[in-house]
Amino acid sequence: MNERLTKLKDRLKVDKYPICLEKASLILDSYKQTEGLPTVLRRAMSTAHYLDHKSIFIEDGELLVGNVASLPMGMEAGSLGPTWPEEDLDDLKKGSLYISPEDETRLRAMDSYWLGQGRTLDERQGLYYDDDHLWPFIKSGILCPPWNRKEQGRGPGTAGVGWGLGIGLSLILPDYAKVINEGLNKVIGDARAELTNLRYTDTEAIKKADFLKATVIAFEAIVRIGKRFGDLASGMAREEKDSVRKNELQRIAETCYRVPGEPAGTFREAMQSFWFYWMMVASGTTPGGRFDQFMYPFYKKDREMGRINDHEVLELLECLRIKIMHFNFINGGKEQRDKWAGIARWHNFVIGGVTPDGADATNELSYLILEAALDCQTPHHTITVRVHDKTPEELMIKALEVVRTGIGMPAFISDNSYLDFLTSQGVSMVEARDYALAGCLDVNLPGKSRINAFGMFVVPRIFEITMNNGVEPKTGVQLGPKTGEFASFETFDDFMKAFKEQLCFFMSLTNEEHNILLQAQRDLYPDVVHSALMVDAIKVGKDALDRALPFENGSALNMVGMINVADSMAVVKKLVFEERKVSKKDLHAALAANWEGYEDIRRMCLAVPKFGNGDAFVDSIACELYRFWADTSNSFRSIYGATVKPTAISITAHAPGGSMTGATPDGRYAGDSLPDGSMSPSQGMDLNGPTGVIRSAVAVDQSSYQATLLNMKFHPTALQSTDDLRKLSGLIKTYFKNGGKHIQFNVVDQETLLKAQKNPERYRDLIVRVAGYSTYFTILNKAVQDEIIERAEHRSTV
Amino acid sequence: MTNLSAVEGMIFNVQHYCIHDGPGIRTTVFMKGCPLRCLWCQNPESHSMCHQIFFTAEKCAGCGKCIPACPIGAIHIQDGKAVTNRNLCQSCGVCTTVCLHEARNMMGTRVSAGEVFNKIEQDKIFYEESGGGATLSGGEPLFQSEFAASVLSLCKKAGIHTALETSGYARWDILQLVLPYVDLLLFDLKHMDPSEHQKCTGVSNELIKDNVIRIYHQQKKPVIIRIPVIPGYNDSLENIEATAEFVACKLGASVPVNLLPFHRLGESKNERMGVQGLLFNSIPPSEQHLKELKEIFVSHGLTVQIGG
Repeated sequence: MNERLTKLKDRLKVDKYPICLEKASLILDSYKQTEGLPTVLRRAMSTAHYLDHKSIFIEDGELLVGNVASLPMGMEAGSLGPTWPEEDLDDLKKGSLYISPEDETRLRAMDSYWLGQGRTLDERQGLYYDDDHLWPFIKSGILCPPWNRKEQGRGPGTAGVGWGLGIGLSLILPDYAKVINEGLNKVIGDARAELTNLRYTDTEAIKKADFLKATVIAFEAIVRIGKRFGDLASGMAREEKDSVRKNELQRIAETCYRVPGEPAGTFREAMQSFWFYWMMVASGTTPGGRFDQFMYPFYKKDREMGRINDHEVLELLECLRIKIMHFNFINGGKEQRDKWAGIARWHNFVIGGVTPDGADATNELSYLILEAALDCQTPHHTITVRVHDKTPEELMIKALEVVRTGIGMPAFISDNSYLDFLTSQGVSMVEARDYALAGCLDVNLPGKSRINAFGMFVVPRIFEITMNNGVEPKTGVQLGPKTGEFASFETFDDFMKAFKEQLCFFMSLTNEEHNILLQAQRDLYPDVVHSALMVDAIKVGKDALDRALPFENGSALNMVGMINVADSMAVVKKLVFEERKVSKKDLHAALAANWEGYEDIRRMCLAVPKFGNGDAFVDSIACELYRFWADTSNSFRSIYGATVKPTAISITAHAPGGSMTGATPDGRYAGDSLPDGSMSPSQGMDLNGPTGVIRSAVAVDQSSYQATLLNMKFHPTALQSTDDLRKLSGLIKTYFKNGGKHIQFNVVDQETLLKAQKNPERYRDLIVRVAGYSTYFTILNKAVQDEIIERAEHRSTV
Repeated sequence: MTNLSAVEGMIFNVQHYCIHDGPGIRTTVFMKGCPLRCLWCQNPESHSMCHQIFFTAEKCAGCGKCIPACPIGAIHIQDGKAVTNRNLCQSCGVCTTVCLHEARNMMGTRVSAGEVFNKIEQDKIFYEESGGGATLSGGEPLFQSEFAASVLSLCKKAGIHTALETSGYARWDILQLVLPYVDLLLFDLKHMDPSEHQKCTGVSNELIKDNVIRIYHQQKKPVIIRIPVIPGYNDSLENIEATAEFVACKLGASVPVNLLPFHRLGESKNERMGVQGLLFNSIPPSEQHLKELKEIFVSHGLTVQIGG
């Protein structure tokens, strides 16, 4: 990093993130004046009001401008509902947040607008959670986390939002190319023209007029804030003594006078245009799209004309990484925050993949984006590499060099698997080739789809319920249908059938929950900022949440912990039904006792083959269960009329999900974490190395899933030489050629090694390199382990 | 013709995703039995052809479940750990089946070449992508030459690349049995001086040196020379100079050399088998020292890398 970036990066280090009230109060002021108007208009007007009155500043040394909050490193309080309850806020203040007592009082005073008036998502959802139908299920936390009160959902409170109001929990991959290439004035012009020709002949036309007017209001305000930054930079340039900075500020001013209204002409303008629009759609989870693709024409032209060199491009890409670090986000009640492991954010930028005609799309920017991450070492934005049969080995090695540094990126995904999924859903191959990810792994087409995959369905809970004839063992509540006492099953097939019946029942409830949520969002959160850039948006004149999209993946059923169920089923099948070594009664009692006094049985359970070792016995059970989840998902319909898609990503729900689940026959204790990905083995259960893990994972048909996740843990010592990386690249490519969808590597730090020393049974899959060869860390004796820990310490100081 | 798949042998591990024992992603089969007793041996469990109980004291909870399980009463609790009297122990392995904490494991399994091949073949998809294959290691794989030849031959028939990691200490007629099925040899050179070699490994090195020359020149087999760098034993500039000269002059400058720095893994294994290690004292070499040694090979025009 150069001096500028070092300074900018240093400023990221703050003890506390200030909570800012500017946005919440401006939005509320506007809302109070527009009661009674159509929601889409009110939201556009309040957005414009905020943009016009927002405090703006440019920090010293910045090349990309557009401050996130009203204070540096601040988080604007959310403007979609009440803030955190007292004790929750106190907890956050003890942690990473700061709010002055006066502001806290002001913030609390805003709650009254939101509470008890049906204005929040939670309250809308709660309306449909009847005591005799959905409420017991919602309260149970099978869909993690549990609700405690009907009107309070997963816990109120949000801070750290962008400049727009968002679309709720759905994710959209905006068509950034359109913003940058055409400019927002084009959208405004199109909307005006459409309005001129509009005749009020039916309801649709009248609603369309609202949408188009709202578009003009919001987009004009976005263009205005660009110009405000232009004025600010130009004023600062006049005052500036340092001639270098003066020139920079002048250039910033010229850029901001042009974008995002007009089409970007240069790489710099394209970067600035991206940032302005990105701030308008930014939330905790905002994708970056195929950044190396839509930015490439600007890069290429500037390079050809000698207007920019690679150092300058790298500097701008690093400025973007720093800028994204200004955007912090915290959301929900304590359980929700646990699910997302604190301040989690998913700003996923995709590189690589193929062009519309199927050729390799890797370009110079793909490498520079990786280089920026390598150099900057910031956790955001994250990067995903689309890998296909012709991905250059050089890109794989560069990507793995970044992985080796331990910043947890990039992840790798398989074009084969994603393209299979998309084309099986009726998307044309040419359109499918332009896919990117929203969230961690959710497949989306820019401007043509949206995804909801927010429910984290904890599958082992259903296993428990099946073993107890539909009763949740912890509470004694009859949550599911009566499918028979465990002791009454004659064959394994009967037991499996009962489990599937229970699973289908609860999946169906989840689908209802999703539909309620989708409808509530549709009513509450129309958003022209996202919607007006969707395909044919101006002609259709509808909000993105109010129309079926060309690729309708608007609802997905997401599971956590299926691998525990597969492993548990294998135990039940082998020990109880086939070999009859353990009686149903004893297994039931052992689980109820959390194995206490039943250690012998637990040992036998542990010895049954586990998923992640390439063992056909258990892998075939996993395969059957995953197929069942996919087929059952596909049998449901969302409110948009499309089939519900199966997905399998745990994010971080495996820990809280596990904490609510009792002991399971795979040998897991009550409360222990579930596997950290849908294709990852249960923790410490893979004993045959990475190839065994992959052989199990490819036994599952992943192409029917919109996303799956496989995590592998390595210590940096196992990734030392380029040759090591080349072999790892071989592992990834083998996985993808045989049906794998996603893999990411957790390169562990010293702290993890220390934990692994203390709890070896949880870290049996951790691979380290001892001098000449790689091996599992936990099989080494303490002296050697200590040596590796020391080495890690040494390495981290380099 | 013998049924290759049925030939039996003793192994102690099959390790998948080995990335430092030859090209590509490999599966390494660790075979039991070795005629050498290198002071620094990292796999002491490979010395004997017999089954052995491997005891990991850190994992033992001292629960005593193994005590009544032992048919000859060789186990007792000492300082909270279940200790085996190795003089009585018959290595029957019953104790390993009752241990709840994975502290007791049986080292050594009698398997057929067919079973080993099946394990190797599981990872064929990885070899194809990465240019990898199977490696026989040990111990000394040539110690069970018929078994080794059977496994390797099955691999070759299935189109899987094969490597043999060897000390090279075997009669030529034994080598001839195995070599036709070997694509690459990872050949150890531990010391150039015959009497020092004798001291460090228990055998002299004339046979080894003759073998590597014949393998490379007469049989035209690709060879990678591997040199364990054991400070205080074989890392003198003089010995390394002699080794480099041997490789460059007697073999050829195109033969790659790997320097394998000493590490302490073997020590813990001795402990776990209840075996008194041979008197030996060394420390892992410094990076600086390794660089210095590397330079010696480079000055002879050799390609050398640190690590396998």
